[in-house]
Amino acid sequence: MSDFSGELTRPMAEADQVEKSMLSGTGMSIPWLRKQMETVETGGKKEKDFAKTTSACLGLIQEALLKHQWEKAAEYMHSYFQILEDSDAGKRQAAPEIIWRLGSEILYYHPKSNVETFSTFADRMKNIGVMNYLKISLQHALYLLHHGMLEDANRSLSQAETWRYGEKSSSQDILINLVQAYKGLLQYYTWSKKKMELSKLDEEDYAYGTATQNMRSHSWKTSVNLSALIQIPGVWDPFVKSYVEILYQIVPSHKLMLEFHRILRNSDKEEHHKLGLEVLFAILDFAGCTKNITAWKYLAKYLKQTLMGNHLAWVQDEWRSRKNWWPSFHFSYFWAKNDWTEDKALACEKALVAGILLGKGCRYFRYVSKQGHQGLKKKMKRMNRAVKSYSIVDPGL
Amino acid sequence: MDFPSSLRPTLFMSGPLGLSSVPNLSFMCSWRDALTLPESQPQSAENVAPHLARDLRWEPETPGPFPLLPPSPDPWDPGPTAHDLLFRGGHQSCRRPRATLDVTEQLSRFLWDHGDIAFGPLGNLMQENFKLEGARSRSKTKTVVSVKRLLQDLGGHQPWGCPWAYLSHRQRRFSILGGPVLGGPVASLLGELLKEELAGRWGQLLLDDAFTGGALAWVPGKMPLVGQLVYPNGGALDRLCFQEVSVTPGSDPQVLGDPGHIQLRGPVRQVVTRTVQGEALLAVRSDYHCAVWKVSKQGRPAPLQVLQVEKGATGINLSPHLPGELAVCSRSGAVCLWTPQDGLQQVYKDPETLVFRDPSPWRWADFTAHPRVLTVGDRTGVKMIDTQGPPGCGLLLFRGGAEASCQKGERVLLAQYLGESSPASLSPTLHLICTQFSLYLVDERLPLVPMLKWAHGLPSAPLMAQLLPAPCPGAPRPLLLGGQGGQLQLLHLSGEEVSVPRLAGPPQSLPARTDALSGFPLLEPASQRRLQERLDAPTIGLAAAVPPSASTSGLALFHLSKAGDVFYQHLRLQEGSSFCRDAGLPSDPSPEPHTPTAAAPTPSRTPTPTTASWTPQATAYCSRWLKALLKVPLPPPVWTAPTFSHRHLLGYKEQLQDGGKVLAGLRAAMTQGRLLRQRDVGSFPTAEPPPAPESGPEDELSERLDEAWEGRGADWWRRRQGRSLGLGHQPRRHKRRTQLSSTFSSLSGRWDLSDGPSPPPSPHRTSPVPRPLPPATPHSQGLTQELWTRGVPVERQQTLQDYMARLPSSGLGATSAPPSQASSIRSTPSRQQAPRKKSRMGF
Repeated sequence: MSDFSGELTRPMAEADQVEKSMLSGTGMSIPWLRKQMETVETGGKKEKDFAKTTSACLGLIQEALLKHQWEKAAEYMHSYFQILEDSDAGKRQAAPEIIWRLGSEILYYHPKSNVETFSTFADRMKNIGVMNYLKISLQHALYLLHHGMLEDANRSLSQAETWRYGEKSSSQDILINLVQAYKGLLQYYTWSKKKMELSKLDEEDYAYGTATQNMRSHSWKTSVNLSALIQIPGVWDPFVKSYVEILYQIVPSHKLMLEFHRILRNSDKEEHHKLGLEVLFAILDFAGCTKNITAWKYLAKYLKQTLMGNHLAWVQDEWRSRKNWWPSFHFSYFWAKNDWTEDKALACEKALVAGILLGKGCRYFRYVSKQGHQGLKKKMKRMNRAVKSYSIVDPGL
Repeated sequence: MDFPSSLRPTLFMSGPLGLSSVPNLSFMCSWRDALTLPESQPQSAENVAPHLARDLRWEPETPGPFPLLPPSPDPWDPGPTAHDLLFRGGHQSCRRPRATLDVTEQLSRFLWDHGDIAFGPLGNLMQENFKLEGARSRSKTKTVVSVKRLLQDLGGHQPWGCPWAYLSHRQRRFSILGGPVLGGPVASLLGELLKEELAGRWGQLLLDDAFTGGALAWVPGKMPLVGQLVYPNGGALDRLCFQEVSVTPGSDPQVLGDPGHIQLRGPVRQVVTRTVQGEALLAVRSDYHCAVWKVSKQGRPAPLQVLQVEKGATGINLSPHLPGELAVCSRSGAVCLWTPQDGLQQVYKDPETLVFRDPSPWRWADFTAHPRVLTVGDRTGVKMIDTQGPPGCGLLLFRGGAEASCQKGERVLLAQYLGESSPASLSPTLHLICTQFSLYLVDERLPLVPMLKWAHGLPSAPLMAQLLPAPCPGAPRPLLLGGQGGQLQLLHLSGEEVSVPRLAGPPQSLPARTDALSGFPLLEPASQRRLQERLDAPTIGLAAAVPPSASTSGLALFHLSKAGDVFYQHLRLQEGSSFCRDAGLPSDPSPEPHTPTAAAPTPSRTPTPTTASWTPQATAYCSRWLKALLKVPLPPPVWTAPTFSHRHLLGYKEQLQDGGKVLAGLRAAMTQGRLLRQRDVGSFPTAEPPPAPESGPEDELSERLDEAWEGRGADWWRRRQGRSLGLGHQPRRHKRRTQLSSTFSSLSGRWDLSDGPSPPPSPHRTSPVPRPLPPATPHSQGLTQELWTRGVPVERQQTLQDYMARLPSSGLGATSAPPSQASSIRSTPSRQQAPRKKSRMGF
């Protein structure tokens, strides 16, 4: 909030911030360098009073904001407007951006502010320092949207869409695309609203025809508006919801992976079966999935199945990289006790896996199998038998 | 682990930092975060956007933190300040002020204080060419110069740094001739090293990355309300203390018993603790060593292993997944996975930085959601390394560049894994990255583009951060960010199951240690300054405990300062915060009706921040601590060179004819190159104490102030007068008066000498015994004038006066200041320039 990062205060950043704060030699800029230097009296020229008061005022506003004293911040803001008359051209140019940021923050939280106040402020700021017109319009529209004023938001975006200033720069282009995309999203809302209305109408009705017409034109507009933006690299989730497909590849911890495993398991191909085992092991690598009972159940069942199918090598392949940390990560005494008290079914599944992978002597298995539980007697027996017959650990060793 | 259903719209840019001419839309202000777009249900579009809690605030219970533990009995020296390191003169342009290191001052201080070291060897070589008295002699092979006159001109010593100091022609000639020989080697040998050292100190003053991560830890104990604070103490921060503290909600914490401690061989830089699978571990990083302890259920630490890091360790972290596993990184660029059982496994090594070239050797390592994947960080970025994969492979998690819209000169200062296996309202894949401008939350599944960015604007380096558990289920989690200067910020993070992490309310600042000043009683200036200096000490550790409580959500916050002080602050979640009141409904479907013409909100919804006040218990803690602090001795003043008068020495040479013991001692000292001490030259019959480092008048002043503070000022004055009378201080006062009167008399017609009596005797000449010289250059012009007038017969004085009047005023004209006045002027700067104790950099 206080540094008004690079792009926003480009003129100031170049003239002031960077050079004033650069630590010689390292290339690192130190925002508090100036403060340190001010503790030393130098014989040089002093900062002008004007600059001093404005920077002090800025500090006070920030302090008030961080203390949530919105009224106080608003009062200081009155005085801060003097920066618009700074003789330093760079500072003067950067001022509207700072004022917009601080002002909108104050007005968003101020107990006495309302939508009108905010809109008035936004409209004024749009025209002070034209460079911010698009950004402020967009934020204003989002604010209105957030307050449920879809039509006003749409109006604000439409105005911004047609706005041009000077030579078209790349940043302006992107902003206009974004404005159009948000507009498209608003149109999408209207479209789906219309669709809802349509579903209530009778097909024979005269109104139905006009409504369909309306709907089609909306969907066309929406698609036009959205398509421009998604050409630009970025994250456009609300606009395009097609990212799920790629998840299988990049996020092994995703819960959809269990489904993926099921598909693989039921496949005819042998390599799919091997991949299915890999997927299960990989899910359980993650700290967030350690208590996923489905994953453990699948693994227990699938291990048995794999070993029955004489694929001991597959299991050993997966186990090799994990045998030095899975025992303490999953199968420690602590977890055995913890799992048993929290979820007996999970403990049983885990114990079975532990028994297969580590042998009967492992702490987890021993702990769980010793907890004679009435309802689980049969299960325990089965577990013991399974471990005896499938364990990959050579009992002779 | 669910992937967020919809990510915030972000532009993806690639390129170096400082490039972002493209608008960065996501991270502008705190409310912007709340405006995530509703997805598909237009009917509920008005309500679905999570509402930003305006009144979400942690309220401090006292205006500032207060000292919890007694101060360390060792004296503490705040070290050099910017004032000591930077050049103070010269002309600075207002627009581009540059920090210039003052090598000259430090060098001349060194020459002044340690002349024996600086000039001793050369002096030894040249010894035979100089003698203390007699006429000079010249032979074919060598010239021997008498330095008697030179020493006389020096007259004791030159007031250091005095711009008006007078140089005689002889001195100037000597300095021109001898300067290159005497000064050259010293300056060339020492200058380079000194400059390097000063640059290092200055860099350290701006950013002391040794304490990255913080050196204070809270180890939860067996009972939920009792825990142990682990922190370094002692002057060198080399004593690791374990203090049991019980935090009871609703009342002040209780310190249980005396702290246990372990003496280490180096300063503690970082203390990390984690409880994994019920096993509490404690890891400590020193400059060249790392150590790990296991803390038993009873709170007793048992050492597991110590590791020596040859190049210097920069970071240590404990695994949140496997007990006893650590990540250690060193200045050499190596990152190792360390387990006390299996030893070290080098995971990554690269002396170069990750993204672009940066000279800092600082490295950092932490864990990720996958127990076998580590993050490796340096100033330019953070990379994820799979320890099971082939060496060198990995994926950048954060890049100092356009992807995160970094500014020019922005550098990574801290990287921290935020996930825990505890029930979390945030995804366990989040990482916190702090730079000097902003903080970023990055999801390891979606690297490079931050999920959240907040420009913290702290006025010092944010080197400590801690994500705290939610005070009640469903509430946003507080993220504590601490700057080295003591500033604290608290962010409220929320991001349930499938939503993107976001700010749940406007961030807030918390009181810093300097805010504690109002809790202390008013002190007399010297002690007040000392207290303030102590409170201003950099923060090197931060720990927080959330005592479980049914009624109020509280937060116990501990600060550790570089002086070894542990301060405590209690925070309470604002009553108005709906999170805990509404039995934990994080996304209330209709938090408030969003009517377009929103009526003025009721005042109860946005209560004004209540002003906290000091509780009697807190002030009691403060005053008890202060009492102990004032008993702590001041750090011993840095050694100051004894000064002794050369003229004085010359005088003795004449007196001590018996064997020249002084001379022998002097010779011996010179040949050995050591300091001449009194016992080398025998006892001086009227030994003059060397001028003290000018603390006399100040002591008298503070004594007087002390007394005046107690209301006994008049008594003191009377006592003092009595004492001075008794001790025969009359002559001094008399002397002062004569000096003064001489000044005045000289102002009223100095040259009118016709009425006979000679001018008031100058103290310089009248006192027959050697006395302490005023720390000033005798004004030789004035002296000469006096000598002139004295030797001239009365009848010729008028002629002389006329003659003098015709001389150009630059000569011995009457315009020159009278001697005593001049000398008093000249002596003032030297008195003002009382040697500052801390600026000597330990020479």
